[in-house]
Amino acid sequence: MSNSKSMQLSAMLADDLALIAEMTADFALSQNIEETLRVGLEHICLRLEAEAASLFLLDGDDLVCRACWGPSDVVGLRLQPGRGIVWRTVEQNACQLVRDTALDPDFSNHVDQKTGFQTRSILCAPLSVRNEKLGAIELFNKTGGRNFNTTDQRVLQALAASAALALINARQAAAMAEQQALQRELALAANIQRAMLPPTQPERFPIHGLNQPARGVSGDFYDVVALPGDRLAFAIADVSGKGMNAALLMSKTASLFRCLAKRLDGPGAILQAIDAELAETCSAGMFVTMIAGLLDCKSGRVVLSNAGHEPPVLISENAAILIEGNMPPLGIDPMLFSSDCPETVVDLHGGSLYLFTDGLTEADCDDGSMWGSEGIRDLARELHPLPMQERLQAFLQRTAPPPPLSAHDDVTVMVVQDCPSRLHRRYPAMADSLGHIRHGIQAMLGTAKYDAGVIQDVVLAVDEACQNIVRHAYAGLPPGDLVVQAEMNDQEIRICLTDFAPPVDPSFLSVPRLDDLRPGGLGTHFMLSVMDDVRFLPPPAQGGNVLQMVKRMRML
Amino acid sequence: MKISTREETGHVILRLEGEVDLHHSPTLRKALMDLMLVNRAVIVDLGQVEYIDSSGIASLVEAYQMTRRNGGRFVLANISLAAMRVLQLARLDKVFTLADSVEAALSIGA
Repeated sequence: MSNSKSMQLSAMLADDLALIAEMTADFALSQNIEETLRVGLEHICLRLEAEAASLFLLDGDDLVCRACWGPSDVVGLRLQPGRGIVWRTVEQNACQLVRDTALDPDFSNHVDQKTGFQTRSILCAPLSVRNEKLGAIELFNKTGGRNFNTTDQRVLQALAASAALALINARQAAAMAEQQALQRELALAANIQRAMLPPTQPERFPIHGLNQPARGVSGDFYDVVALPGDRLAFAIADVSGKGMNAALLMSKTASLFRCLAKRLDGPGAILQAIDAELAETCSAGMFVTMIAGLLDCKSGRVVLSNAGHEPPVLISENAAILIEGNMPPLGIDPMLFSSDCPETVVDLHGGSLYLFTDGLTEADCDDGSMWGSEGIRDLARELHPLPMQERLQAFLQRTAPPPPLSAHDDVTVMVVQDCPSRLHRRYPAMADSLGHIRHGIQAMLGTAKYDAGVIQDVVLAVDEACQNIVRHAYAGLPPGDLVVQAEMNDQEIRICLTDFAPPVDPSFLSVPRLDDLRPGGLGTHFMLSVMDDVRFLPPPAQGGNVLQMVKRMRML
Repeated sequence: MKISTREETGHVILRLEGEVDLHHSPTLRKALMDLMLVNRAVIVDLGQVEYIDSSGIASLVEAYQMTRRNGGRFVLANISLAAMRVLQLARLDKVFTLADSVEAALSIGA
């Protein structure tokens, strides 16, 4: 090789490298990849001295022309799979150099016929990254009647590889941007969902809950709606499936509940109405398991209806029981709920009702088995003494998979507790009720921050007054009932005890009989010593006695 | 409520645990009466009493009165805060013989 020829080649190589570098940079910076490809195509044509060029990209099964340079514009031209030089390039994923189209059996001249262009020779390079085929760049006719050569082929291959990489990058960036937009929308949806859940309430509010979605949005919900007459309607529900469609159905169910809870009488009627609405409009295969309930805060009595949901657990002083239901989920068939939805009555007796979704029962234990309803019942019994927020968090923590795993289902837990600042219970007037009465009062006072001595004194006074009713008011009679009402606020603790025995002589309250060690007198002395005011109120119409005791005491 | 008894250096020690109310005090009363009939020195350990009401106190008073009539010793020992509060309310902390611990009760008048 002569020296001058070698220098000429070096200069050309340097030019080619400069072009590749320039185009690669253009591709990398491009905001509009197809416009950049069109400009790139012009550079390629000028460098390789082609009369015309087209860029084809795969679109579904076809190749579609996305950019052209030269006398004719065939942008939008669609080539179905078949013969032709472009398809051969793409299928073989190899550069094709056709020096004379007349001699190539795959060449089809029907585009030439439409455009009037006369194709003599073709240089066509695939656009592909590894094995992912994107399309091809096709050059037509080297100027001056010359032929494309193998150097042109190598240059086009290099430029095509760079363009393909740029295309892939651009597509990935677009997909990522789309995903980010979707995530932003999911986060927004999750915010809206969280706003639909009831706010965190102070410890003494009767109903608390916690929801932790496995993904951004949740298919679980719980809600509490205040009703007249010191009653609270509540619900917990779990929509089949996960993700956005479950979240939308959940939102619909939640709205229905809020609306119906204020209009319909009782949880059974609410579930019937929700079922009718969901069964009519639910997408195929989706359903909702749900418990609706009504808490009477004055009596601590709960009425429940369960549609295919995990059985709730009642934890009280001496019980931990699952409350089973036997109705199917909502939204399957309007006939299932058309005639009836049974209700169960549960007296909290100072205890709490725990409701939860299957994210909790189906969570894995350490040994790989599921917690199950019984497991969660035992866990509820264990966590029951904790302060409310701590208790709810502990449910999630104890059932969460070990890090770095995260829960694979939405988890919701809800606690309905006997209204802690008020108590209204009916007991048989018998000696073995006294322990229950004391513990009820003690539990109520324990939720407020009173001095331990104050709680002890009030419990003693209540016990002594109840004892008087058991021993004296009902003396010689078959045991009747004893109604204990207690209420505490920032100023005082007020206790009312109602019996249904014949009227007692109220004068026994007037003189402490400390000199007289008969038990009745001693008990009355205790009551008068520890309470600030002890008196009989006018009896109820049906007879009996009402004793009121007040302790004026601020909460700490 | 739980009652257990043991003997130590000529004394019978009755240990009372839990909650003593109207439901349980008849059991306590009978246990005390049975003991007082055959023993002249009884110590009641109240350390584990979580609650005691006027009927429980009345049982203790009855045992105390029996000692007064028949001679012998009756000491309340190791008194829990809950029990002490009730004894004080009844002004009986000045009536009963009280001891800080069972050991101290054993040494009284020994």
